[in-house]
Amino acid sequence: MNKKAGPMFYVFLALFVFLVMFPFLWVLASSIKPVAELFGDRAFIPFTDNMTLENYESVFVNYPFLKYLWNSLVVSTITTVYAVLVASFAAYAIARLKFKGKTFILGLVLSVSMFPQIATISPIYIVLKNLGLTNSYLGLIIPYTTFTLPLSIWLLVTFFRKIPFDLEEAAKIDGASLMQTYWRVILPLAIPGIFTTAILVFISAWNEFLFALTINTDDAYKTVPVGIAMFEGQFTIPWGEVTAATVIVTVPLVIMVLAFQRKIVSGLTSGAVKE
Amino acid sequence: MKPNLMPNNPKPIEAKTKTKSKKKLSERSIGYLLIAPAMILIFVIAIWPVFQSFYYSMFDLRLNNPAKSEAYTSYKVNLHTYLDNYPFLINSLEEEADNATGKTKEELAEIQANLEKIDSELKKDSELKDQYEQVDEKLMVMKPVSEELAVAKLDKEVALDLEKTVDDTTDRVRELKGELENPDDLIGLSSSLSDSVITPNFIGLKHYKENLSDGRMWKAISNTTVFTVISVFAELVIGLAIAILINKAFFGRGLVRATILIPWAIPTAVSAFMWKYLYDGQNGIVAKAFEEIGLFDRMTDLLTSSNGAMFSVIFADVWKTTPYMALLLLAGLQTIPSSLYEAAAIDGASKWKQFLKITLPLLKSSILVALLFRTLDAFRVFDLIYVLTGGGPANSTETISILAYKVMFAQTNFGEGSALSVIVFICVAIISMIYIKFLGRDLLNDK
Repeated sequence: MNKKAGPMFYVFLALFVFLVMFPFLWVLASSIKPVAELFGDRAFIPFTDNMTLENYESVFVNYPFLKYLWNSLVVSTITTVYAVLVASFAAYAIARLKFKGKTFILGLVLSVSMFPQIATISPIYIVLKNLGLTNSYLGLIIPYTTFTLPLSIWLLVTFFRKIPFDLEEAAKIDGASLMQTYWRVILPLAIPGIFTTAILVFISAWNEFLFALTINTDDAYKTVPVGIAMFEGQFTIPWGEVTAATVIVTVPLVIMVLAFQRKIVSGLTSGAVKE
Repeated sequence: MKPNLMPNNPKPIEAKTKTKSKKKLSERSIGYLLIAPAMILIFVIAIWPVFQSFYYSMFDLRLNNPAKSEAYTSYKVNLHTYLDNYPFLINSLEEEADNATGKTKEELAEIQANLEKIDSELKKDSELKDQYEQVDEKLMVMKPVSEELAVAKLDKEVALDLEKTVDDTTDRVRELKGELENPDDLIGLSSSLSDSVITPNFIGLKHYKENLSDGRMWKAISNTTVFTVISVFAELVIGLAIAILINKAFFGRGLVRATILIPWAIPTAVSAFMWKYLYDGQNGIVAKAFEEIGLFDRMTDLLTSSNGAMFSVIFADVWKTTPYMALLLLAGLQTIPSSLYEAAAIDGASKWKQFLKITLPLLKSSILVALLFRTLDAFRVFDLIYVLTGGGPANSTETISILAYKVMFAQTNFGEGSALSVIVFICVAIISMIYIKFLGRDLLNDK
């Protein structure tokens, strides 16, 4: 850690950042070009003299893109709130209370998080179809539990474990009940961890593709990833709109990542690193 | 009833232990109470479907075929379909018989008698008769008939008899075709009537047998393996290199970290579409660049040749997940005390030797955890390939998840698709068991 970074290092770093960001930069440059300049000789020139926002306009006018964004927002938010809530009880019990079978439960949670989605889709699809829940928000929120709940429990257990046990003892001595200890002592201290978990769960729900593709086929209930993937026309791909839509989806994520990068990194690496 | 020997006189000591044990018990029961909702949800929404998938995989289940749209273990009759056709068939037969003469008339009467016989056979079962009449009533007044009411259990003999009689009718009417006024109506009604018999579609492990001897399944497995091994290996090597290089104090750490997170954070489907644009055979800048540096002969090779498509998919995956890998490994690197490297440097160990003797062994569990998650993710790959190549060209990038999806949702063959998805599940289970064995041993050695 005390190694000093030389100028060569910064050159390397700049190159690395450029390579990682290049696809986005190119897509951003393409999205403000007139459609005609996306093809032919002008296709390989990143700059244009005729900057335009017509692709962005078209995304909202010719496609139900706003609807897709809204659907994604509703589904991801509800999924996050309920998964984190249910998981926080379970994680608290696993991390702080004494009872038998905890290791087994944690192992079960971890293995469920490794389940391939394709292995659960046929029964889930048939049940949702019979219940008339395909093409509804609930039709996605229910199956999203399969990956959001194990993820939330796994992350929250590591966060709850980091809270010093002395506090709980002190609360107990002062005569607080278990639930009081949870609400008054543990929860306020766990808020940062819960927030981190919520961010990661939200991103995983926002990005989900297979369930969204198969369960909500109606335009009125499609989510953003599926909506963009279906931009494909029968004969041509509307590249102008695709690049504009990609930029619209990426910008909020970039802002979110810039704002919460520390939290996200702590969430991603917790549990993966032995302490 | 046992009399309570000391109802009003509990000793103080006993009372104390009692409350103590009660408190302990309550902590435990609160524990179970708190995990119960999560466990129930996980069981119902994640574990049950896996078993159900296995159950479905043993049936010839096709959603577009009404007689096979559910897993049937016994013979049944769909009274809705039956009553939609049977009365009209009888009527038509009567009409034809009225207009016919001689042998044809006799034959038609015999056909009708056979059908009526089996119809009365059906109604012998009182429960079935009850259901029969209810459906009939509802159909009369054009009310909708629910699935539960319409489908009734049937004895195997009766079901086979019904099927045989109806098939027989179709055959005999066909033979009489020349002599009848509206033979097509009769044939149509009779063949629709045969759809009312539901035969069990349990086929045991046939789907597995067929899949295991099917070239397309093995091709999909090998595609998945090639994709997983190459992309995870590349991600590990490049990720490790990046992690080691940026494991130092420098200006702009936050910016680099954010850069690393962006490819990971955007939806795979969206990044796949973005790469599709960059790989485009006419206008894609990356395709153009690869052609310029001589990696490919022609720009179009990237998405239209087998090797090109596999390369494209792996390259896009490496771009998206290497930064994530680097992040996980960087976190592991930061737990290695720098004093170790200082001591090694004093002893005259080269950088390479330091890497081999200090970094790798201490990073081993971090690497294994990262590899486990990445391998499983790569093996389940769906969105990236679905959007980028759709499994093409000529199935050259079709992975096992893509194949299972296509069989289920394009061919609506849920039985076979479920069998494929169970195969994916088993593969994933085997992979994780191998890793956990390594990890477990590694963790035990540390103690």
